[in-house]
Amino acid sequence: MSSATPEEADVGGAAPEAATAGSGPLVAGALLLAAGIALLWQAVGTGIDNGVTLGGPTLAPIIVTGLWVAVALSYLIGELRKRGWRIRRAGPAAGSAWLMPVLLLVAIAGYAVVLKYTVVGYVLSTAAFILLCARLLSTRPLREVIVRDLVTAVALALTIYLVFTRLLGIALPAGVLPL
Amino acid sequence: MDLLDGFGTVLTAQNLLYAAVGVTIGTLVGVLPGIGPALTIALLLPVALRLDDPTGTLIMFAGIYAGAMYGGSTTSILLNTPGESASVATSIEGYQMARRGRARAALATAAIGSFVAGTISTVLLTFVAAPMASLAVTFRASDYFALAVLAMVTVTAMVGNSIVRGLMSLTFGLFLGLVGIDSLTGQARFTFGVPELLDGIDVVTIIIGLFAVGETLYIASRLRDLPATVAPLEPPGRGFAWLSRSDWSRSWRPWLRGTALGFPFGALPSGGAEIPTFLSYTIERRRSKHQQEWGKGAIEGVAGPEAANNASFSGVLVPLLTLGIPTSATAAVMLAAFSYFDLSPGPQLFEKSPDLVWGLIASLFIGNVLLLALNLPMIRIWVKVLQIPRPLLYTGILVFATLGVYAVSGSIVDVFIALAIGVVAMFMRHLEFPVAPVILGVILGPMMEIQFRRALLLSDNDLTIFVRRPLTLILLLLAVAALGLPHLPRLIARVRGRGGAQRLAFGDED
Repeated sequence: MSSATPEEADVGGAAPEAATAGSGPLVAGALLLAAGIALLWQAVGTGIDNGVTLGGPTLAPIIVTGLWVAVALSYLIGELRKRGWRIRRAGPAAGSAWLMPVLLLVAIAGYAVVLKYTVVGYVLSTAAFILLCARLLSTRPLREVIVRDLVTAVALALTIYLVFTRLLGIALPAGVLPL
Repeated sequence: MDLLDGFGTVLTAQNLLYAAVGVTIGTLVGVLPGIGPALTIALLLPVALRLDDPTGTLIMFAGIYAGAMYGGSTTSILLNTPGESASVATSIEGYQMARRGRARAALATAAIGSFVAGTISTVLLTFVAAPMASLAVTFRASDYFALAVLAMVTVTAMVGNSIVRGLMSLTFGLFLGLVGIDSLTGQARFTFGVPELLDGIDVVTIIIGLFAVGETLYIASRLRDLPATVAPLEPPGRGFAWLSRSDWSRSWRPWLRGTALGFPFGALPSGGAEIPTFLSYTIERRRSKHQQEWGKGAIEGVAGPEAANNASFSGVLVPLLTLGIPTSATAAVMLAAFSYFDLSPGPQLFEKSPDLVWGLIASLFIGNVLLLALNLPMIRIWVKVLQIPRPLLYTGILVFATLGVYAVSGSIVDVFIALAIGVVAMFMRHLEFPVAPVILGVILGPMMEIQFRRALLLSDNDLTIFVRRPLTLILLLLAVAALGLPHLPRLIARVRGRGGAQRLAFGDED
C-alpha cells in the first residue's frame, strides 16, 4: 500500500546489533569497576560506623555493591580477554554520533528548567521543545517539515494542557498565555 | 461463581470504557517502535492515581499489556521491526509473508491465534489463580525471599545473551532499589546528602529514564543506521477472515501448541514471552510439512509464536496476582501500580479485593474480543500509525516522559535523575546490556531484603531457616539451576534458527 519515507523511517526500529567494537566496553568496564569500588567503600564505611548485623540495614548495601564490584571485574576481564589484552581506538565516526544525544539532554534539561523557574508556561515551552527536538532528530531539510512540525507542536502542547488541567485536574503552569 | 461476579464488575459502562481505552492504547504502543507497555503504564500511573479507581485502572493496564502483544505483531509483520521483544520470533516468517503479498494472512493468523491463545489461557488463569492463592497462604517469609531470588536469577539469565551483562543490569537495579531510607530502621542509604533521595527513587522515574529517555538518546546517537520500510498491504483475498482453507488448517494446531507453551512459561519466573515464542517457532519449524517455505514465509511460524506470546501474558498474571512476584518488566510496573493504590498482590488480595481480581480476569475475556475487533478490521489505521514520522514520535515520547516525571511531582531533581538514568540506559543499549533486569532489581530487591530480614527475625537470626524449610530450599536450588537455562534457547536457536541467539537479547522492555 505505501511505504515510509526513508529519511523519516531511518530513526525508528530495532537495534540489530549494538556496536561493541573499539574501546567502549573497556572504558565502560573500568568506569563500572571504579563506581562499584567507590560505592562498596561507602557501604563498608557505613557498616563499620553502625555495625553489620544479619538483619540490619547495612548488610544489603555491602552485598549489592560487593556483587557490583565482582560482576564489573568479571565483565572487564572478559572484554580484555576477548581483545587479547589490546586496547583499540574507537572508529573516527564515533565522536560525531554523541553530539545528538548531548544536544537532546541539554534540550530536556532546559525544558524542565523553563517549566519550573520561568513564567513562559506549559504550552509555549512544550511547543518550542517539540520543534527543537523534532529538528534535532530529523534528517530532512527544515523547509520540508516546518509546517508539519509547527502544527504538531502547537496541537500536541495545547491538547496535553487542556486534557490535564480541565479533564484530569492536574495543574500545569499556564504562563503568559491567557488559558 | 467468582468469575461471574467478575463479569458483573467489568460489564459496567465505566469499566468497559477502561478496557476499551486500555486495549486501544496497548495496540497503539505495541505498534509503535520505541514505546512499550512498561513505559506506557509508568507514564499513565500518575494520571491513574487522579482517577482514584483501582479496579478500572488495573483493567486498563491489563488491556494495555494484552493490546501491546497484539500490536507488536503488526509491526513485526509489516516493518520487520518488532514493536516489542516478544514479537521477534513472529517477524522472522511474518515479514517474509508480507514481502510475498501475504501480509493480510499473516496479520489474520497472528490476531486470531492471539485471540484463541488469549481466551484459552485466561480460562486456565481462572482455574489456576484461586488454588494457587490458597497455596500461597502457606508461604513464609523465607519462601518469598527464595521466590524473589528465583525470579531475579531466571529473568536476568534469560533476557540477555550474556549472564555477566544481565547480572550487571540486575545489580544496578538492586542498587537503585537501595537508595533512600531503610523502611525498617529509618537509616539513610546511598542518598549522597541529597534530601530528595531520602524517599528513594520513584519507580516511574526509573522506568521513564530507562525506556523513554534512554531509548530516544540511543536512537539519536545512531540516526542514520536503521533503514526501515513498511511492507505493502495487499487487497483482501478470498477465504474467511483473510485466511484460506489451507491457512486455517495449517494454523489451528500451532495456535494450540503455542498456547500450551506460552501459559506455563509466562507463569514461571522466566522473563515473560521471549522463551516460549522462540520455542514455539522452533517446534513448528521441526514439525512442519512445508519445510521449503521456512525462511520464505511459513504461516506456522507466525501462528505458533503469536499464540505463545499472548498465552504467556495470562501466565504472567498467575505469580503476579497470587504471590505478588513480577516475572517481566511490565508485570513489575503493574506491581508498582498495585502499591500506588495501597493494594498488595498475593493471597490476601483474593480475600480482600475479590471484585478487583475477578473483574480483572473477566476483563481479559472482554479485552480479547475487543482486540480481535480492533486489529483485523481496523488494520489500515495501524498501518497509518506505523508511518508516523520518527522524529515526531520520539519527540512525543520525550514530552510525555517529562510530563510523567516533572509535571506530576513538580521536582526538577526527579527530571535530572531520569536524565542520568537515561544516559546510563543509552550506554547499556550500545553495549548490549539488557534493561529489564534493572526494573526487576528495583522492584524485587527491596522485597527480597525485607523478606530476608523478616525470616531472620522470626528464626532468631538462624540462617539455616533458608535450608531447613523444604520449599525454600527447592526454590533456591531452582535458582541455581536457572543460571544454566539460557543456554537452552541459544542452542536451539543456533541449531534451528537464523541468528536467534542474538535476537533474544534485544528489546526487553515488556
